[in-house]
Amino acid sequence: MTTDRTTTPATGPDETRFALSCDGITKAFQGVRAVNGATFDVPEGLVTALIGPNGAGKTTVVNILSGSMTCDSGTEHIGGTDVTNWPSYRIARLGLMRTFQLSRELGGLTVLENLLVAAPDQAGESMVNVFFRPSAVRRQERENVARALDILETYGLFHLRDNRASDLSGGQKKLLEISRAVMASPKVLLLDEPMAGVNPALIERIGGYILDLKAAGVTVLMIEHNLSVVERICDHVIVLAEGQTLATGKLSDLRENEEVVQAYLGEVIDASTHG
Amino acid sequence: MSNIWYYVFTLVFFLFDYFILAMGLNIQYGETGILNFAYIGFVAVGSYVTGALALPSSVGTGQHYILGLGLPFPVNLILGGLASCGLAVVVALISLRRLRTDYLAMVLISLSLVLYDICNNFVPLFNGADGLYNVPEPFAGVLKLTTNSFIPFFAAVTGVIAALLWWVMSRITRSPQGRTFRAIRDDEVVAAALGKDVFRNQLKSMLIGSFYAGVGGGLIIQFSGSFNPTAWLPGETFVVFAVLIVGGVGNNVGMLVGSLVVETLLIHLPAFLPAIPGHPGLIEYFDSVLIGILLMAMLWFRPQGIVPERVRRALSLGAPANLVAGRGEAPGSAPGRPVPVEIATADAQGEK
Repeated sequence: MTTDRTTTPATGPDETRFALSCDGITKAFQGVRAVNGATFDVPEGLVTALIGPNGAGKTTVVNILSGSMTCDSGTEHIGGTDVTNWPSYRIARLGLMRTFQLSRELGGLTVLENLLVAAPDQAGESMVNVFFRPSAVRRQERENVARALDILETYGLFHLRDNRASDLSGGQKKLLEISRAVMASPKVLLLDEPMAGVNPALIERIGGYILDLKAAGVTVLMIEHNLSVVERICDHVIVLAEGQTLATGKLSDLRENEEVVQAYLGEVIDASTHG
Repeated sequence: MSNIWYYVFTLVFFLFDYFILAMGLNIQYGETGILNFAYIGFVAVGSYVTGALALPSSVGTGQHYILGLGLPFPVNLILGGLASCGLAVVVALISLRRLRTDYLAMVLISLSLVLYDICNNFVPLFNGADGLYNVPEPFAGVLKLTTNSFIPFFAAVTGVIAALLWWVMSRITRSPQGRTFRAIRDDEVVAAALGKDVFRNQLKSMLIGSFYAGVGGGLIIQFSGSFNPTAWLPGETFVVFAVLIVGGVGNNVGMLVGSLVVETLLIHLPAFLPAIPGHPGLIEYFDSVLIGILLMAMLWFRPQGIVPERVRRALSLGAPANLVAGRGEAPGSAPGRPVPVEIATADAQGEK
């Protein structure tokens, strides 16, 4: 297990408070309803899984929640603030970070620079500061570099700091995306299939990192198909089917839910039984 | 001054001027990923406005143009750069908010053609197809410069301006602001998801690049004393792109090298070569052919350009040496140097 030194100290999870809520979210693509009234709350300080069959609208929901896509109707709240259809940069500045189903690294930048981009409130992004307060810019840059190197060491990417991000392997890109999100000191982290296509050892590592983030007080919502991972690290599960919220609760309870078993779990169990 | 020195200083002027123009396009395309195919239009606006501001009132001059304030150099040059920035604001508000990549490129090509037609046909603006001429030479009266002494003098002035603008551009591209530009170039969606206002940053990049375009254009009209639509056919934008691609996209030093190879050696030097007997002017037509061949060769064999984009390593970003050395190193790697990326093992197949 690793120790995360980059986020605020844990204050203890609170299942009665919601870091993120959506109500009646809909989204259609040329008449096809990808999301059809999804409604759920993500408890603060916990790890929540968003599961469902392929085509259930999970990634579309994450795209809408992170502002990468607008919804046709419905509302979204982050920590009580209505952020419905806000652009993603404003949602990110509220403390919601995300990763992508297919890793999207900033390929022309080095691994270290990928993290530095994510540092919030950079004085050096103002032209006035660049030319008239260069010492303040340099000082903050040194602090950000030191923190980014700490995070890279935590996530096992330190030795790759000077490599272009496009040169990394698939698993390393997954780690880079998570560490980049951590650099932004998120309050809420949306992970879109963080374990997809990675080897078992790395799945264990990523699971450990997610639990570290939870211990540091970060709320995590992750799309995941690997139910053994969900069972081990997720406190709460949301089941999505045909764009709607089918059920929410603990995975052990959902296994008893006939609708959930028919819509998703039965399919997964069959698949694991037959090969 | 002998003819040879006249040629040399003319080449030096164009070397520095295209260095400025290339730096402007580089911040837009090379650093931020904005495919500005209307770049030559921004150069033209800067040139016309600089010239028209230097000229006296058009009454009795035989020319038709707006402004005509008789402003001294470099006030007119700075205002010419700002006029290009004004055009950039309009273009950004219309196109950058909603269009991306190839669609944006198509709109910008159209804009270039529209600008060209307006300037070519609307005579009261900048004298139509005849363009502006008899633009006063900067400091010629004060320093009592002759035509011969003006050319080296102004080549030197352009060199000083290019050095100043290079210093400014280096500060920008090395700062966190430059890193944000490159993040947007690599992936706008990711940059936005990390809290970057993509439109605002693209607008900044457009403004900076357009100022450089305007100043570069203004220097051309101050050097030659005239400027007309034949000097900025929309295809000229691709000459500046050729400077970028040959020199090395994303590298300011590469812009100087690209300017030397493309603008100085391929475009202007052949114009000074002796004509082929029986085929006057033939050599000048070869420049487009040579540039085309060079572009294909570069894109095929060295797409990163002669001077590739710099890899910004931890130590150059201000990481203290004690933080980097001997920590978290992979076996066999040296601190501060890229290491080979690990190769997926049998149980890691499917990762890559």
